[in-house]
Amino acid sequence: MDLTRGQRAKITDLIANGERFGLGVAIQAPGLSIDFACFGLDAAGKLADERYMTFFNQPTSPCGGVRLSTPISTAASGPSAALAGGPSGHPGDQIRFDIDLGKLPPSIERLTITAAIEGAGAMSNIGQGHVRFLDGDGDGTTESGRFAFSGADFAAERALMLLEVYRKGGVWRTCAIGQGFNGGLAALVEHFGGTVAEPTPAAAPPQPPPPGQPQPLTSQGTRSRATTSQASPPPASQSPPSQPKSPPVNLSKITLEKKGNRISLEKQGHAEHGEILINLSWRPAAAGTVKRGLFGGKRTNQIDLDLGCLIELRTGDKGAIQALGNNFGDLLKPPYIALDADDRSGTSSEGENLRINGQHWDAIRRVLIYAFIYEGAPNWAEANAKISLKTPGQPEIEVQLDSQSNHQPMCAIALLENDAGAVRITKLVDYYRGHREVDQAHHWGLRWTSGSKD
Amino acid sequence: MAISLSKGGNVNLSKEAPNLENVLVGLGWDARATDGKDFDLDASLFMVKDDGKVPDDSHFIFYNQKTSPDGSVEHTGDNLTGEGEGDDESVYVTLSKVPATIQRLVIVVTIHDAEARGQNFGQVSNAFVRIVNRDNNQEVVRFDLSEDYSTETAMIFGEIYRHSGDWKFKAVGQGYAGGLKALAQQHGVNVG
Repeated sequence: MDLTRGQRAKITDLIANGERFGLGVAIQAPGLSIDFACFGLDAAGKLADERYMTFFNQPTSPCGGVRLSTPISTAASGPSAALAGGPSGHPGDQIRFDIDLGKLPPSIERLTITAAIEGAGAMSNIGQGHVRFLDGDGDGTTESGRFAFSGADFAAERALMLLEVYRKGGVWRTCAIGQGFNGGLAALVEHFGGTVAEPTPAAAPPQPPPPGQPQPLTSQGTRSRATTSQASPPPASQSPPSQPKSPPVNLSKITLEKKGNRISLEKQGHAEHGEILINLSWRPAAAGTVKRGLFGGKRTNQIDLDLGCLIELRTGDKGAIQALGNNFGDLLKPPYIALDADDRSGTSSEGENLRINGQHWDAIRRVLIYAFIYEGAPNWAEANAKISLKTPGQPEIEVQLDSQSNHQPMCAIALLENDAGAVRITKLVDYYRGHREVDQAHHWGLRWTSGSKD
Repeated sequence: MAISLSKGGNVNLSKEAPNLENVLVGLGWDARATDGKDFDLDASLFMVKDDGKVPDDSHFIFYNQKTSPDGSVEHTGDNLTGEGEGDDESVYVTLSKVPATIQRLVIVVTIHDAEARGQNFGQVSNAFVRIVNRDNNQEVVRFDLSEDYSTETAMIFGEIYRHSGDWKFKAVGQGYAGGLKALAQQHGVNVG
């Protein structure tokens, strides 16, 4: 069944068992970063319980009735697995929500699938997109319904309600919505009854980029601002009746949980960036918990993690900054990046810090932040390591390093690129066996020899 | 206390509101909550004979022809967005002035420019029609079109019709594709 905007249908007309199905979603949007979510709403269409916002940071609803998963495979089954609009269409889904209506509590009357552009851009710039119903469990799914849309259906919207599944008179139905808000995720959250704590800065609304022109994404866009909060509600007597009683959805801190997530710390006018601070911290292992691992014979209770980066300057100069080899860099002259200390134990409260002098960002072409286990822990999960990235005036970015692999002590964390003066950050979190592999993966072209700190 | 009808139901207006003469047909819907082109919904009324057709084009009351030749039906004006509480558009009917040849007054709402704007009744929420006695401002009957409509672009909300000397109102709630043009043609109007 092809669904057009505004069209409604009974779930039982789409799904054999009427309860369990997948919703596959994809939007072709080169140059745009789009986040998908599923909002579980009450009878009034409000997000009464923030735990029913299912997205990459919160992939399962409390009842298990909504689960987010990445698609099983791009070679999706079904007669029309390819996106409508041509053979060049992407064959599958970018994201999939597994729905079990039978598990939803009675208070949840409506599931709304949404898409929001992170940063600048407009939905008129997207290519083809779809939400499709996948009947059946697990791998044996077939497409039974599809709502296809494209950029031509939209204008300046930055967040969309794509499709909803709702209860009416005890019967589950669906509606292809395809409508949205120019105000992005913040407006969407407001529509669902949340309030935006921080007012929108008095900045000009982002201009839609010319078609096909990827635009730098700004962290001042949706997610950092879309802070819903009833943290300090007015006295009950003055409180409007529509005020939700639920705890707030706080999206103010950016946790780049999703690989490949990108934000750009867009340069404001001609002002330079401040100091970008990258911090690596880890929890020292308790005595006796360190198992024989990578550095087999050299048993120690101390975990030593090192923070470092590969750099490439505008001049073409390349190098690495790390404690190993005593390349601590320099903050005031090229490469304008410095490692402040080598914390050998993790006991330092500040961990290890790498600083980038934002005043000289123009001299820098790209920086690849990495961390590696020098000693003491067989894998990242055991090291309990965390990376944070702070830029003045921007939300903190945090990455937890949690790989269980014992053979990949090296983690490429993030790539910072100079994108026309802006700092574009791409989360990587790829694990490698060592420096050389990282270098090769990112075509840096340094020559590596083994070294030691001792 | 006004009667609330569900789809297909009817009520005898002459019995519910004896001596009903000056009627307000109020129609409402919610403005869109999302950004994009406004939903411009238009109320229209077909004055039809017992064959279901208008006697002539002048008995099709809509935004470009607001009054019937006999003065019995008057459209109060075009609301372009559906904003605000209460009736979004309304039509006055003076029952005693309705010509004897007119058997039914068919009340329809259509979405203007629906095709070009990619809109349909599936996107419109909280639509209703109500019959109000203008002499005492009492609502006589109301029909909330609570059913979920889908891709229809024109909808017969209800009709006021003669029945054994009385006036009755029926909650119709029937949707059509093709917008106002198709509905007008169906009711015998020559659409240019």
